Amino acid sequence: MKGRTPVAFLCAIALLLGVSAPDALAQTKEDTLVYALQSDVDSWDPPASVLREAIILGYHVYDHLAVRDLKTRKVGPNLATSWQNVDDTTWEVKLRQGVKFHDGTPFTAKDVKATFERVLDPARKMTARGNHAKIKTVEVVDDFTVRFKTDGPYPLFVERLTAQVMQSSKVIAEKGDDWMKENPVGTGPYKLVKWNRKQEHLLVRNDDYWGPKPYFKYVRVRIIPEQATQIAELVSGGVDIIKAVPPDQMDVIDKSGQARTASSPILRTAMLQLDQAARGGPNPFTDRRVRQAANLAVDADGIIKHVLNGLGDRVATGINPMAFGWDPNLKPYRQDLAQAKKLLADAGYPNGVEITFHEGPPIVEPAIQQTNDAIVADMAKAGFKVKRNYTGDNTILVARIKDGKGGPMFNWSWGYYSVFDADAILYDVFKCGEAYSYYCNKELDDLIATGRSTLDQKTRAEIYVKAQKLLFDDAAYLYKWGLRGVWGISNRVEYQAPADEVDRMYLATPRKK
Amino acid sequence: MRAFIARQLVQLVVVIIGISVLSFAILHVIGDPVTLLLPQNAGKEEYERYTKIMGLDQPIWVQYWKFASRAVQGDFGRSWYADTPAFGLVLERMPPTIYLTFAGLGVALLIALPLGIIAALKRHTMVDTVCTMIAVAGQAMPIFWLGIMLIIIFAVRLRVLPASGYGSWEHYLMPAFCLGAFLAPITMRLVRSGVIEVMSMDYIKTARAKGVAEALVVAKHAFRNACLPVVTVLGLQFGQLLGGAIVTETVFAWPGVATLTVESIRNQDFPVVQCAVVLLALVIVVVNLFVDVLVGLMDPRIRVSG
Amino acid sequence: MKTALASGEVALERGELDVPALGAEGGRASLRRLWRLKWGLAAAAVMLAIVLVTLLAPWVAPHDPLAVNIRHRLAPPAWMPGGAADHPLGTDQIGRDLLSRVIYGGRVSLLVGVSAVLLSATLGVLLGLAAGYSGGRLDWLIMTLVNVMLTFPFVLLALAVIAVLGPSLLNMILVLGAADWPLYCRVIRSETMAIREREFITASRALGGSHVRIVFRQIFPNLVSAIVVISTLQVARVIILESFLSFLGLGVQPPTPAWGNMLGEGRVYMLNSWWIAAFPGLAIFVTTLAINLMGNGLRDWLDPHMKL
Repeated sequence: MKGRTPVAFLCAIALLLGVSAPDALAQTKEDTLVYALQSDVDSWDPPASVLREAIILGYHVYDHLAVRDLKTRKVGPNLATSWQNVDDTTWEVKLRQGVKFHDGTPFTAKDVKATFERVLDPARKMTARGNHAKIKTVEVVDDFTVRFKTDGPYPLFVERLTAQVMQSSKVIAEKGDDWMKENPVGTGPYKLVKWNRKQEHLLVRNDDYWGPKPYFKYVRVRIIPEQATQIAELVSGGVDIIKAVPPDQMDVIDKSGQARTASSPILRTAMLQLDQAARGGPNPFTDRRVRQAANLAVDADGIIKHVLNGLGDRVATGINPMAFGWDPNLKPYRQDLAQAKKLLADAGYPNGVEITFHEGPPIVEPAIQQTNDAIVADMAKAGFKVKRNYTGDNTILVARIKDGKGGPMFNWSWGYYSVFDADAILYDVFKCGEAYSYYCNKELDDLIATGRSTLDQKTRAEIYVKAQKLLFDDAAYLYKWGLRGVWGISNRVEYQAPADEVDRMYLATPRKK
Repeated sequence: MRAFIARQLVQLVVVIIGISVLSFAILHVIGDPVTLLLPQNAGKEEYERYTKIMGLDQPIWVQYWKFASRAVQGDFGRSWYADTPAFGLVLERMPPTIYLTFAGLGVALLIALPLGIIAALKRHTMVDTVCTMIAVAGQAMPIFWLGIMLIIIFAVRLRVLPASGYGSWEHYLMPAFCLGAFLAPITMRLVRSGVIEVMSMDYIKTARAKGVAEALVVAKHAFRNACLPVVTVLGLQFGQLLGGAIVTETVFAWPGVATLTVESIRNQDFPVVQCAVVLLALVIVVVNLFVDVLVGLMDPRIRVSG
Repeated sequence: MKTALASGEVALERGELDVPALGAEGGRASLRRLWRLKWGLAAAAVMLAIVLVTLLAPWVAPHDPLAVNIRHRLAPPAWMPGGAADHPLGTDQIGRDLLSRVIYGGRVSLLVGVSAVLLSATLGVLLGLAAGYSGGRLDWLIMTLVNVMLTFPFVLLALAVIAVLGPSLLNMILVLGAADWPLYCRVIRSETMAIREREFITASRALGGSHVRIVFRQIFPNLVSAIVVISTLQVARVIILESFLSFLGLGVQPPTPAWGNMLGEGRVYMLNSWWIAAFPGLAIFVTTLAINLMGNGLRDWLDPHMKL
């Protein structure tokens, strides 16, 4: 009889362990909203992260001084009740009273000062620093009034307020950066209950919230890396809201009877960045003719029409049609293989040129794999021999790119930190020396600097028209299209697809039957 | 018996040292860790600074000794990516993977034992072939394909199981089946050959001649003896199962250590990789030791001769 | 851990290991044996067909496997509504002909399978022979290495190597080849140890035969059938492993088709355009099934007592 023991034993262990595995938290389906993300955040400290997911989660636990109204796309008050220019370089902001952090401490001007000083401290290397680099000092006038001194006129001041979460001065001083990575203490509509890395975040409604209270008591944010699994979860009722649905899969969701899709143009332009600045060393793209050839090789209009089912807006440069400063008169590159081949030959590559292409997963850009396939095939026709190097984890790809290891060609899309202005992409992605920029052009840098410090919007628009002309002629990168996001939404939930890509679960309500 | 266990323990120590050397070598065999970490355009000063920080300027045996003596205390350094201790990160993700692997083993046995025994008893008949085919079919279906098919059938169409995630027992069914199907063919092969061997032994023939019912013969003798090689190999297959676990975890959004390791490999986050590899190897070693002792208890020949 | 080796999965039965000659038992008996092998033979025929088709890919495939046509993407197989006779198995997510890709993909998958197995078999057999024949310290050293390798989560190491060296066909063959040698090593060692003690070896040693000669002329031929059987089965395993690596984005890189990466790319489409994943999946399924049945047939033919 001894013989049977091991088998029975193994089974018993398996069963025991299975049964004793941690049980799901006690929430009912009715008061819980489930939202799926493809990859997890690296930290719960939004200013320290570059990830879209960190911004999204930040919106739930933290508040901003100003927020964008999703319908009008205008920026309005939030934790700040009003703001005005005292002079060209001073902004005075009045704060909302009676707001409390999750730990009970009241929100005052001290917190605003501490938040901005933390982000601006060069030693801390916060990702969000570039957003606010023009702010010189933050002064507390009284408990609910703050004055910002800026380095020259700063027209984007209010826009940028939507990109900065308010953190507690007490937490910053007493707990420090490491603690804040895992313990967000905000004033927002939800509180973080539990974070199981790469698995799930559980948020509970902040019943002391100063603003409109969210409908759902719990929000579960599940990390589901496989797209097929996400869709399966949505149509089987396991998840309520998913984003970045591939255009090809919309019919699966719409026909399921369980969920539907919604799409919206989003403030994000996709492109292939070319290493013009030679950050990864000498490469063919330092030659303008090669960059132009790449742009001329690709039939972007055809790809939008046939691969994206029309869900994309062709752009002439990196500037998104929704952003302030976009030039509608600039016509994008159109496929011209003969011209592309000629330019390549002129540049010294009559027999084609070899290029390494770093690609990432479809986290923010729908159908990226398929469109990449089509782009690579088009480029091959013009003589580009593209060697593809796929990185499955977006955070890693981003880290590499930041390190200057992205060249000579890589996938990139920029979400403007949800600031609807040309400057929000020009500064970070085209200005010489910035972490995500692989382009270096003194003339453009000057235009960016002037645009940043001009208060008159008409003059600014003219500056950006010039900048776009320059970027188009110089073919800085391989320009693709403005993205349209596709969301999958369960039929039990009412939810509006957000144009700024920031999902707000606190706006979701049950759907009326 | 005591000598047998002592020998096992000595072997265990040797294997553990070997594993620690191999996992230490990961970093050095693959390339220069500093170059892997630094941006391509980093200057010489930066390079030297990093070399110092990481202690890479010291002789290799000093570095190994440091690594090993810290590892014994559970200190594998801080994750270069998440900036928290690697040991904690790995430990936190260990249980889901171990549960999943055991559940997979259980399923593999549930499939392989009956099929293997039937195939052996009906050797060289249609039944044998069909049993073999069923088992091989499990292996021939790539795990992620099988996984997504299961999700489509049981979660999307029938809506009887959760499509993914980790928590209740329902979450175990599909991933465990996927892994089990991956392991079943080799297990079945073993059961089959084990039973065939046993059935031709004299004592079985004697039992049969004595008129003991066939079913009883199978149950009492054949089954028990067929277990020996199966148990042994299952111990060894534990390592193989990890390969399957990586894919299974990804498809079912299972928060295990296998996906963590793959992510860390992609991150080139070597402290986490080293820690995960050492801990996983330890689990495998312990399982194997356990198996060897079990086999030793079951099989008197080994106890005596060793 | 020693016991694990003695009763391991591929420990062969001691004794009659010499390759039996077919037909030695007379006409009728051999016919019966052939009938018994019918599955193996059928599988071998299928395998032969697969190998021929993939080898002759440029002449057999109707289209260029890399030709993209975004205007005709996601076309279903010819027999379904909306399908075109031009693309018998339909087209994939960017309009490439699926049949041509399955055919060309087979080339890559089989190439990876066979080369990796050749590599690991060579390594494993040489080390196994050395360990089993010489015994003593060398044996201890090799077997310790084998034990470490078997307990080491090697899949992870393989992934690490590929992630750093970069995914390429050659790297993948090397890594998969390096992963599997302990399996051969263990079997060959125990067999060699058994054969070493038999009379004909002792005799030739007494006659002054060199070690190398004894090992390769007298021991090795006795191991051929075991090696052939294990290798056959391993090819199937490596093909599956290739698909794992491709799934994780570390396998054969697109646009080069291999069954594994085609399956990986098609997985998102399994809810609507199922054919993209189904046909390469079917190809893997049929091939591994055929290889396994062929392996079983080989085992029964070469040595019915082999415990595999």
